[in-house]
Parts: sequence; structure tokens; C-alpha cells
Amino acid sequence: MTTYRKSPATRIDSIDALLQILDVLPTSLFIKDENLNFVFSNEAHCRIIGSPAQQLLGLSDADFYPAEQAKEFMAGDRLVLGSDEPHEFLELATSTDGNTVYSLTRKARIATPDGKTYLVGTNTDLTDMKRKEAELEAKEARYRALAETVPVGIWHLRENGETVYVNPFLLNLLGLTEVEFAASDPSRILAGCPAEGMAKLIGDASRFETDLLSAGKVVAHAMVVSSGWLENAGVSGRSVMVTFVDVTRIADLQTVNDQVTRLNAELSENIQKLKDTQEQMVRSGRMAQLGQLTATVAHELRNPLAAVRTSAFVLDRKVRDKGLGVEQQLLRIDNGVVRCDNIISQLLDFARTRPAQCKSYEFDAWIAKIIEEEAAKLPESVHIECTLGLGALQVSFDVDRLSRCIINLVSNASEALVGKEGNPVEPSGVQPVIRIGTMRTARGVEFTIADNGPGISEANLRRIREPLFTTKTYGTGLGLPAVEKILEQHNGGLDVSSRLGEGACFTAWFPLTQVQEEAA
Amino acid sequence: MTRPLSILVLDDNVDNADALAELLAMDDHNVKVTYSGQEAVDAYREAPYDLGFFDVMMPGKNGVDSFLEIRKERPDAKIYFMTGFSADELLKKAMAGGAMGVFGKPVDLPSVLNVVEQAA
Repeated sequence: MTTYRKSPATRIDSIDALLQILDVLPTSLFIKDENLNFVFSNEAHCRIIGSPAQQLLGLSDADFYPAEQAKEFMAGDRLVLGSDEPHEFLELATSTDGNTVYSLTRKARIATPDGKTYLVGTNTDLTDMKRKEAELEAKEARYRALAETVPVGIWHLRENGETVYVNPFLLNLLGLTEVEFAASDPSRILAGCPAEGMAKLIGDASRFETDLLSAGKVVAHAMVVSSGWLENAGVSGRSVMVTFVDVTRIADLQTVNDQVTRLNAELSENIQKLKDTQEQMVRSGRMAQLGQLTATVAHELRNPLAAVRTSAFVLDRKVRDKGLGVEQQLLRIDNGVVRCDNIISQLLDFARTRPAQCKSYEFDAWIAKIIEEEAAKLPESVHIECTLGLGALQVSFDVDRLSRCIINLVSNASEALVGKEGNPVEPSGVQPVIRIGTMRTARGVEFTIADNGPGISEANLRRIREPLFTTKTYGTGLGLPAVEKILEQHNGGLDVSSRLGEGACFTAWFPLTQVQEEAA
Repeated sequence: MTRPLSILVLDDNVDNADALAELLAMDDHNVKVTYSGQEAVDAYREAPYDLGFFDVMMPGKNGVDSFLEIRKERPDAKIYFMTGFSADELLKKAMAGGAMGVFGKPVDLPSVLNVVEQAA
């Protein structure tokens, strides 16, 4: 290059070559004289203007471009010619064949050694760039419109918590203006501890549900989705995009759904209760009838039984010491009477529907007396151990009925251990013991009667409460159902636990009355 | 042997009444048997008895009402009741009116003989 400048001969020789080079340049280049007429136009420029170079020479922009454009270009030209500085113009140029080019035009004034002044211009075609820019703008506008209208809260924030963008939906949700949002501590919009809320938002991508707060009040329940760190989201440094989906209504729906589910459950429970009540009514109606019938039958049977017993007694006295050998037969008559009487008692217990006649007694003292009486009737081999834990607690109950319960359970235990006269149980080698206890529990008063006998099989345990179910040749199958009935009349119940070979434990319980509850 | 007593037995069940009367008579007591409440009231009106054994439930005048009527004329009348099932209200009334006690049917006879012996 330096060589060319220092050698005038080389320079003159290369003008044509230079012009040829300029012709094939991709950049448009033109030269105008002082009158703004073209003296040179390369191929690229010819394409912009829409005419070959031969037709341009000696003519001006006004001969080719639309009048408005030509006027603008030439005004620029004149400005450049009157100035020592090169100028740049952004221009729209429409060719003669109708193509519009957006170009950055650079123009400069040059003076030749022969004293002539020229204007040299180049055009850089920005059409593509401009199109891309327009596309970007359109894209941006579309995204903006999307962000402004979606029914989802959007919050773009920098690493330091500074808001880059917050969309109108979120502002609406919070009832804040953009300025108010920016001014308030944005971390406070999440319920719970704000610091943790921010920590949740910033950092790792996460998704969680939370209440949204505005001025300390819950305004919505939202599903929050954090994008996690974004390195290139149109801001310098790292930022996070957080979206909020208002799930308040969904939560409401869930609540309604839960409520409907609960109501359904209650309804079916109530229907079941109604059924139970109906059955109970039918049952108690039947039971009332049965009770009446049993009472009548009991009375009618006990009178002839009394006559049998008294007659046998008289007979016994008449023949005694006469060596007739009928003592055994007379004893059998009396045993038969006792058994009949027990059956009648159990029937009465089972069929009785009148409410319990409750009075207050010191329970432990009372039960101790009953057990003492019963123990005297038991075979000598059976030991009784008592652990009474109610102290002086006053308990209200039906004395007659509860004593029937205890007598029943104690004789059941004894029969399990050693059987009954005439029906002995094979001895197990273990000392037969009945353990009786009383205690105060959350259910009220409990008394347990446990034995160390052979226990009850699982199959029998399932059926043990059924009326008329018995495993004994001498049983009525009404003892335990009667016990249970009596406890039910005291608003209580009976628990039975047993395993084969491990004895059995019967726990009777019934609640204390409110007054006793307070006193206890 | 204790002194003979005059005893009235009241039971609408004839076998019952007769069997008990026979048993008591074996110990040389003078036993009057009645089969209705009214009969017993009438008997007491005629003469006092040392002891009475009354059934409770029976057609017509029941045992307790008969007893209460008797007590009006003979406040010292000593009467035990015998019942086939617990007629609670009636028995409460009887005990409040001064009855000696209640035996459940079928009556435990040694107990009956015991109270007789005590009275003799």
C-alpha cells in the first residue's frame, strides 16, 4: 500500500483497476459531483437504485428515487458538501423497480488535486438487520402481551431480590400497584417466614404451595414455581423467574370436596345408625314381649317347683332313719329344682328390659361381701385372690343385677377350673385360682374376673356372647349374654380375652355417673 | 322341740300351700291353710297367728294388700313373703308396712324352719 502512494505512475495506472475492484465490492458505493450528479456508481449501488451505471452518470437522486426520498438524500448531500466531517444517515431507499432497502449511508466530501469537489457515499444494507429487529420487537411484544394477560402471576427478580418485572396478574392478586410492589418488601408476599420464602424462591428450582400475603393478610393460596437460577434472562447477572398459580378456588373446591366426602360418610353412618336403631327397636320390642313372657313363666314355674321342693323335703323328713335308701333320689329331686331355678334366674336376667334401679354404694366393700358369700359355695380346691383398687369410691348401680353378674362370672370361672359336682374337669396340675380385681379407668369402673383354667378356643371366643351357646352339658347358654345385658343396662360392656391353655379374663365395665365422676 | 306356734299359710297354689303346711305341721305347729287373700284376712280377723307365710302374686287380693289390711287390725302380725319373681314395688310396700322378710320361690326350707324356730 505504501508503495502505491509513493509512486504516481502506479497510482494512475491502477485507477481503472481500482474502479473494477470497487464495482465488485459487496458494499454499495457512489460518487457525486458538486451538483449532486452521479459520476460513479458501483454494481451494488446500481442494484439499490435500480439502474445500470451508464444511465446514472450525469443524473441525480431526483431522477430515480421517489421525490420525498430524493429530497431527503440530497439535503444530506448538501450538508456533507458544506462540512469537513463525514456524516452517517439511516435511509430508506426505494429502487425504480420498487425494492426498498434500509441502509446506513456514510457520506464524505473529497477534494481532488485539480480543485474539484466530490461526494463519496457508501450504503450498508441494514434491511436484514432491520427485519430481524422488527421480528424481535414483534416477538417481544407477543411475550409481553402474554405476560400481561395470562392468568398466572409472574415475577422476575434479580439475585439481590430486586424486581425486574412483575406482571399485572400478580399485582392484581396482591392488590398492589407496580410502584407499591417495588417499594414493599417482596419477600413478604409469601406466608410463613419471609426469609425462608425468599430462600425457597431463589436458588434451586422448586415448586410449593403457600398462602400469598398482602399487608399481612392472606389474599390467595398459590402454587409457586421457581425457575431456579437463570444465567441469561435479559438481565445482567443471575435472576429467577417465579410464577404463581392462584389455587384458592382449587383449594376451595378441595374443601368442598372434603366436606362432601365427610357428609357422605356421616350420611352413611347415620343410615347405619337408623338401621341399628330400627333393629334395636324391633329387638327391644321383642325383648319386652320376651321379658313379660319370661316373668310370667318364671312365676308359673317357680310355684310348682316350690311345691316339688317342699314335698321332697317333707318326704325326706318322713322317711329319714327308716332305712329306705331313698336319700339319693331325694337329693336328685332337690338338685333338679336348683337347676331349674337357676335356668329361670338366667332367663329372667337375660329377658329383663326394665331399666336398672341404681343406688350408690361403696363398690369395693359391696363386691368383697358378694365374693365372700360366693367363695363359701365354691369347691375347696378353688382359691380366690382379690385386688380391690377403688378404695371408698361410691358407685351407682343396680345391686341385684350386678350381683347376678358377679355370681355368674365367678361360677363360670370355677366351672372352667374344676367343673361342677357330677361333671368334674380333668385336673391340670396347676392350683386353680380365680383372680378378682376392681379398678378405676377412663371407662369408669371395671371389675375383672380371671381364671387360670384351660382357656377358650378362638372359635368359641367368637360365639361366647351368643344366647344359648354353651360348651357345658349343664349350661343354658344364657349366663354370659345375661351378664352382658346387665352391663349394657348400666351403659357398660363386657370384654373377654382368652387363649387356649392360658386361662380366661372377663372384664366388666360401666361408666360412673357425672356426679361420681366429679367426686372421684 | 320348741313351743307349738299358730301359723297361717297363704298361697293360691294349692300344692304349694299344702306342702308347706304339712312340713310345718310335722313340727307340731298349728297350721291354717288359706288359698286367697280374702280367706287370710278373714282368718286373721277371727284369730291372731304367731306367724304367716304369704304368697305375693295371686288372683283377687294379692298377698301384700291382704297383709296391709291385716296389719290395720293386728299391728303385731308377723308375716314373711314368698315370691316367684321380684315384684319390687309390691315388696317395697310390704317391707315398709312391717313385713318380716321375703323368701324367693322355690323357698329354701331350712331358712323357713329357722325363722319358725326363732319365733317359737
